[in-house]
Amino acid sequence: MTPSPVWAGEATALVTIDALREQTHAMEQEAAVLEEENRGLMKMLKEMEDDDIYLVVDTESNRLTMRQRNRIILTAVVGTGSRQFVEEETGRNWYFETPTGSLTVLGKERNPVWIRPDWSYVEENMPVPPENDPDRIVRGVLGKYALILGNGYKIHGTKYTELLGTHFTHGCISVGDKDLEKLYRSVKIGTKVYIY
Amino acid sequence: MQNVTIKSRAACLLLLISLLFVGMDGNGQEQDERAELLEQQKVLRAKIETLRHEQDFLIFEKTLYATNSKYLIIDLGTKKGQLKYKNRVLKDFRFTASANGAVDAFKPGTLTLTKKIEDPGKRHVLIFGKSLVIQWKRPAGSPYAANIPLLSLSNRDFQPIFYAVEEGAKAYIMR
Repeated sequence: MTPSPVWAGEATALVTIDALREQTHAMEQEAAVLEEENRGLMKMLKEMEDDDIYLVVDTESNRLTMRQRNRIILTAVVGTGSRQFVEEETGRNWYFETPTGSLTVLGKERNPVWIRPDWSYVEENMPVPPENDPDRIVRGVLGKYALILGNGYKIHGTKYTELLGTHFTHGCISVGDKDLEKLYRSVKIGTKVYIY
Repeated sequence: MQNVTIKSRAACLLLLISLLFVGMDGNGQEQDERAELLEQQKVLRAKIETLRHEQDFLIFEKTLYATNSKYLIIDLGTKKGQLKYKNRVLKDFRFTASANGAVDAFKPGTLTLTKKIEDPGKRHVLIFGKSLVIQWKRPAGSPYAANIPLLSLSNRDFQPIFYAVEEGAKAYIMR
């Protein structure tokens, strides 16, 4: 961004005192310009920062961290997608993976209800009921709270706490009760969730 | 008459000596200023170098903020690194560094991930051209890292990072 002055270097013995003065002045100016530019860049980067809490989910090691700036507020052992494949006789199939990328908390639920999707019946070799069948409504399996991420994915509780730390879900992020409560209380609608 | 000649000769000699001293004093002052200016330039040169590195890093952060790519910050001074996305830290990690026989290793600046090697024996490796190899710690040396500076991470830290970054991802080495 800033042109370099020609420095006297080791050949200064041949440079006149006036030239040496000019070179020093040019270097002082260059340093001043760089300092000014860096101050501007730092200010710009500072303005990009915020104090918002955000969540990070590491699907490799099954860890969720709640962060604010460079601070870790909470680390939780979680369960993520099993990476298993299920296929129906008709040819329909599902791959159970937690989606990666930058997501947003779209909603918060208390005592969430699970609406059993088709794959849950296929997985258990059961006949798939019609879409609005009341049999699909299951209470008490997602814990006390859920954070909605969209496309059917949620951060929620689990009955299978012994499996936390492994890949066992159908794509949602399962969390233990205590951590889930902390998350529910800290996270707002609009909170960013980075999953990788 | 002879006395006058001796006196005037002595006066001339004194004048010459004083002129010589005056000249020497002027030359001495210039020498002092020259030395001072050279010292000033030395300090300024180091300052400009530091400011340039600082600017390089700030521009890197600003550029990466505008992309959708995850990137790594590698701080050789603290032996700590970060996986970042935009201005947000996704993961902190520690590492050990080895020049691995490479001359001029770990130059500060931007690197690009050129290759991800997913080894069936879980000997995954991240290769940044001829500048850097990142792998997880294990006793045997890496076949991919001959004469290339090497960063070793714990397996627990390395695996998530390996899957988080794509080829073309950037890393920044700072001292």
